[in-house]
Amino acid sequence: MANEKETLIKIDEVGKWYEDVQALDGISMEIDRKDVVVICGPSGCGKSTLLRCINGLEEFEEGDVIVDGVSVREVRGTKNIYKLRSKIGMVFQHFELYPHLTALENVTLAPKKVFNMSKKEARQKGMELLERVGIPEQADQKPGELSGGQQQRVGIARAIAMDPQTIMFDEPTSALDPEMIRDVLEVMADLAKEGLTMIVVTHEMGFAKEVADEIAFMENGNIVEHNDVETFFKNPESERAKEFVDRVLVHI
Amino acid sequence: MKSRGQLPALHFDKMGYQFDWGVIIREPYWRWLLNGFIKTLILGSISWGIALFLGIIVGTIRTLPAKTARAIGKAYVEFFRNIPLLVQLFFWYYVIPPMIGQWFNRMESLPWIMAIFGLGVYTASRVAEHFRSGLNSVPKGQRQAGLSTGLSNWQLYRYIIIPYGFRLMIPPITTEFLTIFKNSALAMTIGVLELSGQSYKIGTWTFHSFESITAAVIGYLLIGLSIIGFMGWVEEKLKIPGLVGRG
Repeated sequence: MANEKETLIKIDEVGKWYEDVQALDGISMEIDRKDVVVICGPSGCGKSTLLRCINGLEEFEEGDVIVDGVSVREVRGTKNIYKLRSKIGMVFQHFELYPHLTALENVTLAPKKVFNMSKKEARQKGMELLERVGIPEQADQKPGELSGGQQQRVGIARAIAMDPQTIMFDEPTSALDPEMIRDVLEVMADLAKEGLTMIVVTHEMGFAKEVADEIAFMENGNIVEHNDVETFFKNPESERAKEFVDRVLVHI
Repeated sequence: MKSRGQLPALHFDKMGYQFDWGVIIREPYWRWLLNGFIKTLILGSISWGIALFLGIIVGTIRTLPAKTARAIGKAYVEFFRNIPLLVQLFFWYYVIPPMIGQWFNRMESLPWIMAIFGLGVYTASRVAEHFRSGLNSVPKGQRQAGLSTGLSNWQLYRYIIIPYGFRLMIPPITTEFLTIFKNSALAMTIGVLELSGQSYKIGTWTFHSFESITAAVIGYLLIGLSIIGFMGWVEEKLKIPGLVGRG
């Protein structure tokens, strides 16, 4: 690994409770600029919650997250949280496209409203993005008229429309038909090549092996192991990760 | 003779009643009916405007995170929806104006003002409830998606939650829109001669209540069917593919 790595996101002992249930247990993690980090682990281990803490969609009680030098704890509740969020795109398991807007409008809403981009400019940019994810023909269709794979590609285009430094994926292929998973993973791999920092919560270990730089394995609101991909799959340090790798590798 | 328990049919001729449908198109009665019809339209429309405007505000307030805001919204709704509309109109017309002052109490258009106001604020409480449940039906993920792109809370409501929620509440809102015109008939009790008031007046002047009331029935039916047609058109226009109004 190169030495001139620079930390973009620093998660510092973040603790989070849902009433009495502890979702995150003083979790710490550093994510370097332009790295692709895959987060995996059993359901309910806190993966999605962690993503939502990074862009302040969820509040946390303990610790802090520093994104490119900005403290989430300090900016939440202020207008600066909007700025921080616009630098982090997010893609959701169930797409969460705005159903009353067309594919193109889904992509251009934020640039128009947050950056005050002109209609013409936003349209041009939106079309470029839809071309990039491979569905320019569907620009004027509403999400309800698109297949799951197409919807998720719109979701990705929407997430990168603000030219973010980072993009977070929350199980982006879990709700897709097997045949469509490939299309979406390909788009994601392309983005990785273009130098976006990516945090991907996924069960797609094939994707992790091919595209990711690092893997973090979570359980019970904490990180059990955080390693580079090769070490993780070949020589996991923890027993738990070893057990996990042994089980999933059969499927790859 | 008919068997016991069965009512004899009404025989208008035996009552000495002569139908005279001409009454409703004769001078000056057709003018009265038309005047009442227009008044009903104005009464319903303006109070509907108030109801929508206030209802949207109160309904939105009831979905905000701030506790005091929610409590204010709730107090409004509970006050207006738990008192019979007729009593509310009496309250606005008889009780409040003298408290405000004689200049207000003696205003010529007082019945009008209070009827529009009373209908508007009452219906607003019902609109608010539909609005609240519509907004609450918008999936949580929409809020997260919007915020994650950097939209402010206001922009989130303005461009995503309200337009989405509004589509979910078109059917109950249509019902309220219809109901406000039907409820507007109560305005005659505080002296607004709208459609039912005029038809009643024609009845007392000509003794042809059957005809004049039938005319009112047709008038209300016309308004109601037009609203249903209009709202159907709105629903079609705003239809979300695969979500509302499947088909």
